[in-house]
Amino acid sequence: MSDEPTETPEATDETGSAVERTQRELPSWERIRRSELFVVATTTVAVAVFPWLFARAPVVSGVLQGYQDLATLILIWGIFAMGFNLLLGYTGLLSFGHAAFWGGAAYAAGVFSAQVSSSPILIILAGTSFAALSAWILGFVSLRRGGIYFAILTLAFGQMAYYMALAPLSGITGGENGFTGVELGKLFGVFDLRYPVPALDWLVGTWKYVLVGAVAVLCVAAANRILHSPYGMVFRAIRENDQRAEFVGLNVWRYKLMAFIISGTFAGVAGSLFTIYSAYVPVSSFYWTTSGEVVIMAVLGGVGSLFGPILGAGVYLYVENIVSGVQQLTLPFTGPGEWVTLVQEPVVVLDGFGAYWHLILGLVFVAVVVLFPRGIWGLLEDVGSAVRRLGGGR
Amino acid sequence: MSVLAEVVTVLLNGLQQGAIYVLVAIGLSIILGTLKFVNFAHGALYLIGTYAGLLITLEINVTDGKLADWGYATIGLGWGFLAALIIVPIIVFGVGLLMERFVARPFYDRPDTDQILLTFGLAIVIQEVFKILFGGQSYNFARPGWASGQVGLPIIGTFPEWRLYIIGITAAVVVLVYGLIEYTDFGLVVRAGTRDAEMVELLGIKLSRPYLMVFGVGAALAGVAGVVGGPLYAVNPNIGTEVLVPSFLVVVIGGVGSIAGAVLGGILIGETLAVLVAVAPQWSQVGIYVLAAVVLLARPQGLLGSEEVAP
Repeated sequence: MSDEPTETPEATDETGSAVERTQRELPSWERIRRSELFVVATTTVAVAVFPWLFARAPVVSGVLQGYQDLATLILIWGIFAMGFNLLLGYTGLLSFGHAAFWGGAAYAAGVFSAQVSSSPILIILAGTSFAALSAWILGFVSLRRGGIYFAILTLAFGQMAYYMALAPLSGITGGENGFTGVELGKLFGVFDLRYPVPALDWLVGTWKYVLVGAVAVLCVAAANRILHSPYGMVFRAIRENDQRAEFVGLNVWRYKLMAFIISGTFAGVAGSLFTIYSAYVPVSSFYWTTSGEVVIMAVLGGVGSLFGPILGAGVYLYVENIVSGVQQLTLPFTGPGEWVTLVQEPVVVLDGFGAYWHLILGLVFVAVVVLFPRGIWGLLEDVGSAVRRLGGGR
Repeated sequence: MSVLAEVVTVLLNGLQQGAIYVLVAIGLSIILGTLKFVNFAHGALYLIGTYAGLLITLEINVTDGKLADWGYATIGLGWGFLAALIIVPIIVFGVGLLMERFVARPFYDRPDTDQILLTFGLAIVIQEVFKILFGGQSYNFARPGWASGQVGLPIIGTFPEWRLYIIGITAAVVVLVYGLIEYTDFGLVVRAGTRDAEMVELLGIKLSRPYLMVFGVGAALAGVAGVVGGPLYAVNPNIGTEVLVPSFLVVVIGGVGSIAGAVLGGILIGETLAVLVAVAPQWSQVGIYVLAAVVLLARPQGLLGSEEVAP
């Protein structure tokens, strides 16, 4: 959060440029930018336009080569990463066990859908409640030690959840095969999630995306509200100096536990949505690589900002799904291209590029940790303020 | 087989399984206790040790390796393994020194979370490099020829010889490290640095070299574990992370910075695994985490950890 008053908007949203232009003339831009209504409105617009830009818009989608389902997946992981960041970015607690909540919610949602009700809303509620409950238990045990021990313990108990699902509970979870009996009903009993939205399918695609997008907007609104409330201020105080917060008279342990539960709840929302998205729960959703992935997403995008982790989730999944399939890394706009082509013969930079994607991502991750602790989002903010300074503003 | 024999076999198996964790965990524990640096890439050092050991044993053997080419086909089977046991720790020691100098040292003053993130990223990079170099498939790491048989023991009859060697090698290494830390000047400086680094510096002792050595020794231990543990499991790029999590549990259960704690924790975890595999195999993996949770609820600083040293 920058303290300097700014006249021009920062690069807050890659899709919100139209909104920004109309708002620019208004007097106290900073106040508007921070107002809850604005955040929610921009998020809604961005979420609504995102799949179109990503998968169907001319030129943009030609360069990005995305597809509708990936847009949905990015939002789901974005919720997960945003919730994770509420813990890491705002209280400074690094958890390596969030797969327990993501996977736990996914399984709870799946089992609930098969046994009780197939209503999507109820499925999400069931999965989320389960995640919140398990976050309370795991947080209670893990928070007995702070700092690095917290990371190790959450990692350990996340693994415990994985092995629980794998063997002793395989009667419920399906063990190694994952949970296959997911039943999905219609949204509010009317809208089938697989069907396109009438008249708007060119923009948002199916009802599934509408559901995921609506939940994502709600989650952003909730996170924004939490962070700007006095409660969120305490989280930040704990991150800065938990000893001092303790001396002021705050019960730091309880606040940390609450932050952990809130963060686990977000992971639960995302996990339940993932069950709805894929109609299947793989046991690997419990494995600690899932926790690792959300850590990478959040740090890559930028911890300590609301939208950074969502951006990180987008970058990660894009690289995982699109870039990993690229056989050769060529210079942009060379070779046969659909929209813009400068040279017909591709200029190959690296052959067999797709196989290296994990390594490259790892190297980028290390570089971000070492050089840009505020991640891509922080980098964008810095670039934005530098451009503004160049433009004569402050 | 009598009940007694079965019990002893299970306990010996547990001891052997715990021994690997002990080797990895001691390195983790002394680095964590002394340097206050949490190394999520420690599993990657184990990985390097295993692959280096596998390469050396494949290259230096009498049937089709370098020794055979050089005409030493008569000196007996499995010497490559002994060579690996000596060369690999030296290699990984070097890797450890590099890691301390170029990875850990610039991050001593950064928050814990940054250290974890950095080493986590590094672990991914190392794992991916191995995947690219050697492929994702599993290799078979043969037991050395001189220890591939069964050995007769009084109560239980026969027991795989190699498993006894693992226990023996671990015991020897632990005694060596314990002596190094407890009875040498180097160990004295390291232990003093653990208590109060500032005071040691004020007394005119530069801590950067002892710290470098501690990291190197810790890494070398992971390398030894990699060679010794290699023949137990199939060798693939994921083994590093697979051994890391239980080893961290060992450190937490035993108490950070305590060698005796790491040994106790390792044996406890190994025995828990072995007993549960024999009694209720479904619960074997879950059991060690339950054990960790119980220990933590009762004694947050670990069984042999002291309150003041642990941050």
